[in-house]
Amino acid sequence: MSEINLIELGIAIMVLVGTIFGFISSIGFIRLPDIYNRAHALSKSSTLSVLFVLLGTFLFFVMVEGYFSIKLFLGIFFVFLTAPVSTHVICRSAYRCHVELAPESVQDDLKAFIDEYTCHP
Amino acid sequence: MIQWILFFSLSFLTFSILATIYRLVKGPTASERVMALDALGIYLISGVAIFSILLKSRAFFEIILLIGILSFVGTIALARFLERGAVFERNQSD
Amino acid sequence: MFFLDNWSVLSFTSGYLIGLLILFGLQRFISSKYYLFTLLDVLKLFLIFIAELFASSIVVIGKILQPRITIKPGILALNTSLEGEVEVTLLALLITLTPGSVVIEISPDNKVLYVHAMDIPELSDGVRQSQIRFEKAIKRVTRP
Repeated sequence: MSEINLIELGIAIMVLVGTIFGFISSIGFIRLPDIYNRAHALSKSSTLSVLFVLLGTFLFFVMVEGYFSIKLFLGIFFVFLTAPVSTHVICRSAYRCHVELAPESVQDDLKAFIDEYTCHP
Repeated sequence: MIQWILFFSLSFLTFSILATIYRLVKGPTASERVMALDALGIYLISGVAIFSILLKSRAFFEIILLIGILSFVGTIALARFLERGAVFERNQSD
Repeated sequence: MFFLDNWSVLSFTSGYLIGLLILFGLQRFISSKYYLFTLLDVLKLFLIFIAELFASSIVVIGKILQPRITIKPGILALNTSLEGEVEVTLLALLITLTPGSVVIEISPDNKVLYVHAMDIPELSDGVRQSQIRFEKAIKRVTRP
């Protein structure tokens, strides 16, 4: 009985750590200056927090209930596969829509490239 | 004890969803709103996972997959719309 | 496995191990690499990636929780030596998943990646080093 409690406690702490990561990244989502920096906060949240929370759920159902769920594993894999793709696509569309970088920025190597290669009309 | 820790993490999740909704309403550009919607999908996935631990139920795993797929497809479609002005292009030249 | 009525893990595992041994013995007559080594390389790539994820997300958390945000963001151009769509896609995926760097654009000839870094003076060396490590690991996976 006490072993089960200890395992459950560890899993609950894992879930808590995951949600704290999500909370910190949402703070960054508010505080950071422009969209590209906010994308950093978003990609961190979606990887680390979902990794911790879904891995905690997976371990809970394996150890306590004795049920190996392949769906949760697929969910972790899918989030890992799609989070960077969506971040990249949003950032690219923002840059092609001429969203300005924050005034603190020190370097912009992409501007010359975009000027010579304009894909959109 | 364990239930209290899980409720505590749910409250953290609530605060982060509120912060994301603030950015969704306030955000200066449309790209930021799309990004906030994507983040909402991610937090919803975490919330459903925590609820399935709390209720000790296996019925919600399909919902995790579904929310992930739908938010991904929606994000891609919205970003393409912002970039080109259309989701599907009818006559591609190349 | 399908010929027996009772499916046991033990018989499946022992059969799989015997198959691995036979395949390893026949290695001289097969032109491709032994697939277990490729699997080990994939595992190594994944471990490198997890380590990078933790290290750089701690850096980003430190940046976010400062009382005054003093970051100098910017866009870097990274030249890559990888070729082919699979390798470049894998590199862009890994660089984007490590926080502190987001791939914004890729030039049409797959040679230059444009990476937005969160703090140029501190992170540009780190981004280049992790790019070199990722490239080595990716080459070991995809090239025979």
